Amino acid sequence: MKTAIACLLTLAVSAPLAAQTRGAASIDPSDPAVVFRPFFVVSAERFAAQETFKAAFGGAIEPMFGGGLEVVLRNGIYVDAAVSRFKKTGQRAFFANGQTFPLGIPLTATLIPIEVTGGYRFNLSSWPRLVPYAGAGVGSYGYEETSEFSDPSENVSTRHLGYLAVGGIDVRVHRLVGIAGDVQYTRVTGILGSGGVSKAAGEDDLGGVAVRLKVTIGR
Amino acid sequence: MPRVRQRPIAGAAVCAGVFLVLAARGYGQAPGPARVIVDRFGPAAIERGISPLQTRAPGTPNEMRRRSIRPASQAIDRAGRAGAAYRPGRVIVKFKDGASPAAKSSAMSAVSRTAALSARPDFANFDVVTIGADEDAESAADAFRARADVEYAQPAYRVHPEFVPNDAFYKQGLQWNFPLIDLERAWDIQPQAGSSITVAVVDTGVAYTSATARFHANAFREDSDGFTEPPTGSGTLYPALGDLTLSFAAATELGPSSRFVKPHDFIWDDEMPLDLDGHGTHVSGTIGQLTNNGSNGAGDTRNGGGTAGIAFNVKIMPVKVLDSDWDDIFGSPNVGTDDVVARGIRYAADNGAQVINLSLGRTGPPAPVIEDAMKYAIGKGAFIAVAAGNDFDEGNPLEVLPEIASRIPGAVSVAGVDRAKGHASYSSTGSWVEVAAPGGDFGAFGAEGGILQQTLDLDLVETFTLPVAQFTAPRFDALAYFYFTGTSMAAAHVSGVAAMLMQQGITNPAAVEAALEQFTMPCSEAQNTCSTSIAANRNNSYGFGLIDARNALRGLGLSR
Repeated sequence: MKTAIACLLTLAVSAPLAAQTRGAASIDPSDPAVVFRPFFVVSAERFAAQETFKAAFGGAIEPMFGGGLEVVLRNGIYVDAAVSRFKKTGQRAFFANGQTFPLGIPLTATLIPIEVTGGYRFNLSSWPRLVPYAGAGVGSYGYEETSEFSDPSENVSTRHLGYLAVGGIDVRVHRLVGIAGDVQYTRVTGILGSGGVSKAAGEDDLGGVAVRLKVTIGR
Repeated sequence: MPRVRQRPIAGAAVCAGVFLVLAARGYGQAPGPARVIVDRFGPAAIERGISPLQTRAPGTPNEMRRRSIRPASQAIDRAGRAGAAYRPGRVIVKFKDGASPAAKSSAMSAVSRTAALSARPDFANFDVVTIGADEDAESAADAFRARADVEYAQPAYRVHPEFVPNDAFYKQGLQWNFPLIDLERAWDIQPQAGSSITVAVVDTGVAYTSATARFHANAFREDSDGFTEPPTGSGTLYPALGDLTLSFAAATELGPSSRFVKPHDFIWDDEMPLDLDGHGTHVSGTIGQLTNNGSNGAGDTRNGGGTAGIAFNVKIMPVKVLDSDWDDIFGSPNVGTDDVVARGIRYAADNGAQVINLSLGRTGPPAPVIEDAMKYAIGKGAFIAVAAGNDFDEGNPLEVLPEIASRIPGAVSVAGVDRAKGHASYSSTGSWVEVAAPGGDFGAFGAEGGILQQTLDLDLVETFTLPVAQFTAPRFDALAYFYFTGTSMAAAHVSGVAAMLMQQGITNPAAVEAALEQFTMPCSEAQNTCSTSIAANRNNSYGFGLIDARNALRGLGLSR
């Protein structure tokens, strides 16, 4: 992730030098009214439920992978829909008085967020290939938890709504390729907090803060 | 040549046999050494199968009779102000750190003209001050406590096992107590069953080794009016059996000698805590009797593997701190008092026990010496399970040891439930009850309402319950399966599950307690049962509820 961020910053610094063809800060009438850009995203999410994730996985920063479609209007408004996935096998644990005891019983958690974000992309006149953006949205967060020695009824399969806010910079590295780096905050309640380590640790948010790297395809 | 020599040898053997028989009948009055270990070998155990007897249960005539025995050679316990029995002639005193010898001497002379400081016993952070046998030890303790240089002082109150026995085989459904706490699914999670854990059974000893030992059996009296304090001194006199050479067999279902670590006997002051009662062996069986050995040639092959145990791979540390009737008749140098129990707890902790089972207890005044020892053991990483008491039908007095346990994270007091998950009729209730476990109850269920494990064949051990004319030497080389009931049995369940929890990764005693309490099945006093469908909070009969071995071992996921 550090490498990715470094690459992004390098691209950002070099972008003005490469911006030889388009320099207008205002809306270019020649631009299409709507652009559709599929994208792939990889992120490192620092989950808000730190004790919970540390107990099961040994740490609270986990990778997620996904993709989606971004729709950008000529006036800078955009909407994207994304699906991503986190899946990891850790272990069940016992949590008491702030101390975690791993129990060695395999546990697999799968998180599949479906997120819709709307926002605005800012055209910078002096940095035409750098496009900062910010947005907010909602998501439907599917969560499954299975573990060894569990009855089917003891496994978890649920989906809850959550909310997100995002801000970042899109760097056009090619006429049809952009690389964006952003930070996304999510809050997802209703899944954690009513049982398990999360209840013992007093954590009820399955969201967190993610540093994301997006590769978009399209104008 | 061999035949010529055989005749004198055979003759001598006959003479010796006649002498032994006569001696065993009461003619051998000359007191010899109290106990001599003749050999660490004994003949193979005699397996006698399942006994249907329900003799060992709280309040039974047999139990009362056993408690009424007064060895003629020993000092008689005295009753304290609150009715608790104590050993006369001594006071347990812990002087504050830095108390000088002169200050101690001054304290003793101020309390009693006869007070003298004994050599500090092993595994003790306290002293034992001897006083006159006719002096009031409680008053002496009060006087010590009033001094600024004394941390605590108390009489040597008598401690006794918290149990009741009887028997059955797992496949036949006779060990109903294990499914009751979902143990089969717990074994699925942890088939190693505590193989890296040592459980100290601080009790009457364990039938853990074969041996041959010589004792001198003194005369004793059975009080005609049963267990009374103070004893009347009347009743039936049983004659001295004189010198007896007795064989001891290891309980086949407890497995090979390699399972036993650091045995110690605080009753006889040596390293051979032989069980002359059966209680400690039965408790050890619940904790860790061999399991799944019906066809592998291990354990009790005659009975197809006999019974199961909970943490069937644990190491067992036999620590004898309770005297049985035979220990008393044989004139053991020590008896089960608070100081002896405290030393046993400290010994177990110092020698690596991760779980300490205390299937024993008493009512009466506080026991700071035991509380101190329990805190010490927990500080060294040992979890402690304590029987909550069997005195519900006897006025339900406050139980001293479980009350201590209820105040210390890492020690748990355990009440008993019957096979219908109801409150066992004898199980003490109170604020000190923290969890419940199967203790069994004969009342509504007959013999099969008890907890079945292999132990000594009590028919051949408790010969002192027979009429004088039939009274003979005991046998400790015969084994049988007996049903016992009591919170002793309940505590053993918790110790076994705690050993599995420790092996699973919950290594902190306080966390073991938290896990046991968090994953209980709720119990209702009003409905007199436990069920997952009950929405019940902690109560005085069951504490937080009936332990659930599988759920405790399974622990927590992220969200459930």
